Amino acid sequence: MPHLQVEHITKRFGRLTAVNDVSFEARPGRILGLLGPNGAGKTTSIRMIAYITVPDEGRVSLDSREVGPWSQLIMGYLPEERGLYKKMKVGDQLAYFGELKGLTRSRAVERAKYWLARFEAADWYGRKTEELSKGMQQKVQFITSILHDPSLVILDEPFGGLDPINSELLQDVIMELKADGKTILFASHRMEQVEQLCDDICLISSGRILLQGSLRDVKRSFGHNTVVVDFEGSDAFLDALEARGVVRVATRSRSHAEMQLLDGAKPRDVLETALGSVDQVTRFELVEPPLRDIFVTVVQEQAAAQRGASN
Amino acid sequence: MRRTWVVAKNEFLKRVVSRWFVFTTLLGPIALIAIFAVIGIVTAQSMESGTKTIAVLDGTGQLGVALTAESDDQSVFIPVTVPEDSARQAVLNGRYTGYLVIPDSALFGRGETSYYSMEGGLGSMLNRRLENTVDGVIEKHRLAQAQVSPEVLEILNSGLGFRAVKLTAEGEDAGAAEMYAVVGFVMGFLIYMAMLIYGSVVMQGVIEEKLSRVVEIIVSSVRPFELLLGKVLGIGAMGLLQMVVWAGLIMGVTLGSGFLISLFVSPADLGLTAAATDQEVLAAMNFTVPTIGPDVFIWFVLFFLVGYLLYASLFSAIGSAVEQQQDAQGLMLPIMLPIILSIMFMQGVVENPSSTLAVVLSFIPFTSPISMVVRVAVSEVPVWEVMLSFVLLFASFLGSIWISARIYRVGILMYGKKANLKDLARWIRYA
Repeated sequence: MPHLQVEHITKRFGRLTAVNDVSFEARPGRILGLLGPNGAGKTTSIRMIAYITVPDEGRVSLDSREVGPWSQLIMGYLPEERGLYKKMKVGDQLAYFGELKGLTRSRAVERAKYWLARFEAADWYGRKTEELSKGMQQKVQFITSILHDPSLVILDEPFGGLDPINSELLQDVIMELKADGKTILFASHRMEQVEQLCDDICLISSGRILLQGSLRDVKRSFGHNTVVVDFEGSDAFLDALEARGVVRVATRSRSHAEMQLLDGAKPRDVLETALGSVDQVTRFELVEPPLRDIFVTVVQEQAAAQRGASN
Repeated sequence: MRRTWVVAKNEFLKRVVSRWFVFTTLLGPIALIAIFAVIGIVTAQSMESGTKTIAVLDGTGQLGVALTAESDDQSVFIPVTVPEDSARQAVLNGRYTGYLVIPDSALFGRGETSYYSMEGGLGSMLNRRLENTVDGVIEKHRLAQAQVSPEVLEILNSGLGFRAVKLTAEGEDAGAAEMYAVVGFVMGFLIYMAMLIYGSVVMQGVIEEKLSRVVEIIVSSVRPFELLLGKVLGIGAMGLLQMVVWAGLIMGVTLGSGFLISLFVSPADLGLTAAATDQEVLAAMNFTVPTIGPDVFIWFVLFFLVGYLLYASLFSAIGSAVEQQQDAQGLMLPIMLPIILSIMFMQGVVENPSSTLAVVLSFIPFTSPISMVVRVAVSEVPVWEVMLSFVLLFASFLGSIWISARIYRVGILMYGKKANLKDLARWIRYA
């Protein structure tokens, strides 16, 4: 039973259709990755889910009930554009946001203290927000989105601006929320993180859904057509392969390359060509394509199709 | 409703504990009194500064002596018999402050006396004194020449007075008309302040939330309308608190005014015994503390509140449409115009509270908060007029908050775009 259901929502701003007939669902205990290029309609979709704006057509519901002021109380939202009251103290600020989400003042204070301690920041409680570093503010803002123990958590680029240690900490908390049965919506451009965290994905571009399903199914549908080679010596074989139209090289560095096999090309052909020019092959693997490649391919195909349609 | 309350409480507390609030609330009136005191002291000093020596070129040959007798510690008259050019040179050299030219026709016909000085300034206090002195001397001389009987002189010299009395339903309030005008001015200015200053505070708050993007978190928890209303009410409550504190201070000063005045004026100067009470001193100075009816206060508070609400809602709509304070100027002009007009015409309304202009201004919702309160304070306005004006004002507030809320809910989420009035009109129509 999905917790969040988005059914055929459309949103127009004047002549621009920002979101066009989008449907997807998210389930408890799973993380749904919301992907798409800039201006794809992600933020507009999220705002409709958060009941900040309403769709022109279609419907968003939580547990089969249409979203409204009631659902705002059980939902937490970390917007991509970060912002806090600069002059307010961290504790007052968190307590205020907690109160807005329906907590009593004392309960909100208690939760704020708990989460600050959890993020190793208990001593920030009485400090003014403007005194904190950007990363610290980011943590405070993350706390505002989970303070009231929401069942749906929407995180838009939650890792932006965090150092590796804090990213790790945040990732742990997100996995905890997931284990706790929360439904999590995760919007990001960082494909490695999406691949690491998400169970399901939904790729939006130009207001439409291009791809959706569980991460594993999506990747499987693109087949084992990616070759990863680690090598020592000359990388001239890559140019030779591309010149013959066997592969399209997606990434290359001094000793590492990832490429897509083009129609009907054999992995064996790639290996033999490589052995002809390098000193040593230390790794040769046939893998599912990384999400980044899928993302680029699908979005570029759509752009090409749109150009074709408009000509 | 609960969330509106949470927002209002936060807006109120956040501001009331700020240094800005404590500073303006406590120091505002002190600064105001200090400014008036400085102006008073400077004026008083400038009037006493030095003795003016005035050369008199007397064409009549008779008035010079009489004028010399009028010399006092402020102006000394010295008859001279030099050509006008020399007198002019003497003034330019600084020997005299100025010189008077009295033509011989001054005794009989329409001769005009001229005063030449490097200060010019026809309307200054000194020139008026000078005019009075010269006129007095000439008048006395003409009367003496006409051999007017002592009885007639007595009649002429008996003091003429003029007194304005305000009629109220309860009777007449003697000698307090000027004080009512002052009350009218003060109330008008307070409402002006409430609409402009507190309205701008609301606008700044909206801009700050939009600029810092914190608004996106808040509208994921509250409806934009609840946020707008909470903000306007919270800041309104702050304004009201500030007014109450000030009203308390003013009341204290008024009650203690007798005491204050007795510090500067000794009863003996007024022909009273040293044991005279403060009230007796005030009465002797013809200073009346006006009695302000409760109805005036009630209307003041009502127009104050709804006037603030009307303008605060409009200001918040503007705040939501811009990225920064500076961008707001152009959009603010149409809203500021009625406020500025009501202040410009305030003097006229105080002087002629029943004129067509005053009545019209006191009915137009955007000017009525100031104009109607001024009318109520200085004159007796029929109750139906005040009520109708208030109903119109309240209806306009409901309309403006509806429109503002529709602009606001779109505007706060529009980043990086400077909206114009046309955009605002389009946002109102959005679903």
